[in-house]
Amino acid sequence: MNRTRLMSAAGACTLAALLLRTACAAAPPEPPAPSVPAVPAMQVPSQAEIDAQLRMAQKQLEEAAHEVARLSTQFSGSVMQEFMPLLAAHVVMGVELEPAPGNVGARVREVSPGGPAAEAGMRAGDVVLALNGTELKGAAPARQVSSLLRDVKPDTAVTLRVQRDGKPLAVTVTVRGAPDLLARLPRVRELGVEPPEPFSRRPLRDMELASLTPGLGSYFGTDKGVLVLRAPADGALKLEDGDVILAIDGRAPESGSHAARILGSYVGGEKITLRVMRQHKTLELEMTMPDATRAHDVHRREVMMPRADAHVTQLRAPYLRAAA
Amino acid sequence: MPDLNSSPQDLSTLLRALPADAAAPYGYQEFERRAQQRDRRARGLAGGERLATACVVAVGLLAVLVRLGAMGGVGHPPAPGVPVVRSAPGPEDETLPPHAGVAERWLASLPEEPAIVHVGTRAAVLGLEDRIAQIDDLLSTARDSGDAPARLATLRQERARLVGTLVQVRYAEVLAEGSL
Repeated sequence: MNRTRLMSAAGACTLAALLLRTACAAAPPEPPAPSVPAVPAMQVPSQAEIDAQLRMAQKQLEEAAHEVARLSTQFSGSVMQEFMPLLAAHVVMGVELEPAPGNVGARVREVSPGGPAAEAGMRAGDVVLALNGTELKGAAPARQVSSLLRDVKPDTAVTLRVQRDGKPLAVTVTVRGAPDLLARLPRVRELGVEPPEPFSRRPLRDMELASLTPGLGSYFGTDKGVLVLRAPADGALKLEDGDVILAIDGRAPESGSHAARILGSYVGGEKITLRVMRQHKTLELEMTMPDATRAHDVHRREVMMPRADAHVTQLRAPYLRAAA
Repeated sequence: MPDLNSSPQDLSTLLRALPADAAAPYGYQEFERRAQQRDRRARGLAGGERLATACVVAVGLLAVLVRLGAMGGVGHPPAPGVPVVRSAPGPEDETLPPHAGVAERWLASLPEEPAIVHVGTRAAVLGLEDRIAQIDDLLSTARDSGDAPARLATLRQERARLVGTLVQVRYAEVLAEGSL
């Protein structure tokens, strides 16, 4: 009996010792024992890790900027609605006018940053004497301008006769479509529909473009178009890195911004044709604009406006196409 | 592999022959110290990402504030060839933030678009620019229509707010371009 117990105890000890040994052998190298004063271990991230973290932070910054712009624009919606009845034209020029001294012409009080007038080189202090040959007179020149622009379509060039520092000047302004045009259509407003947001789909937002310089143009075999530096990640639009977009449904983009503006005028489900230069060959890419996938867009589409969406798409498309 | 059915004498020999490193390497106190150290490392790795993001955002905001606050000082001259001439301030101007003109000078000093256009950010910029242009057109018409100064002030404040947003978004764009 004693012998059996002793054997069992010895066996158990041996097994425990073997297990302990195995465990110690498999364990990673341990830090110095407590008796030795150890320097606190500090793991320095590698360059690759820092780079990855930096890229993620930049992405979050861009995402935040996009969200700030979206919410800020949404915030101004109620103010804009209040003043909408004053807008006679469907286009914007991006200039604040006031009667000029002597009621001859309209003095430019402010030029909207990045607006059509700013792009045309107009400055605060200029005096607009005529628009498309019609002279501006009287105490309400801005209303006259609004009236003259009533039938002008987006993306049309209007000619202004301007006086700057006492000297005459001709300025050509390409007017843009007014934002939220859709919201002004009574039928759509009754539906309570918010105009769809362009680029709500992530891969399209991640696209990167560059205007062609002469050097790049000769390399890619074309002197016109916009270079695709980073195509949408999921193959949306069928674009590839290194493509040069020559035309979007027949419209030649003049810059990365212009291409973004044109692409942003399409909503999910619309047909679109891109003419691109790929490896010195011209291709026609036909596709359907991808749908939005962001959670709240899907919610809005499927829950808040179950059948109105298709109707809105039909209504909105031609207006925005012209506005781009 | 030792034979567990060996005699007690053999077993005791085997036990004596076991290497010294098979003994327990450390006590509970040491175990606790090491566990805390591992936790700190794990927290440090997870927090690194958040810290990097917070740093970038904080530096961005700080830079915008510095630019807006110290504009007109050294290093931020108004854009060449883009003079900002304004009429005498009207009653609706009194409610404007003091840095409104500074923000527009900074915007005017930027190129029309970055060398590399990030479509998502650019779309946000274009949307804001169009909205500001619309407000300017509205301000013209509202003034000619004899709107009350309070209503004009509402529009002007809205414009200033959107210009402020445009500054933030364009700054993010500049920051992203500079880090490429």
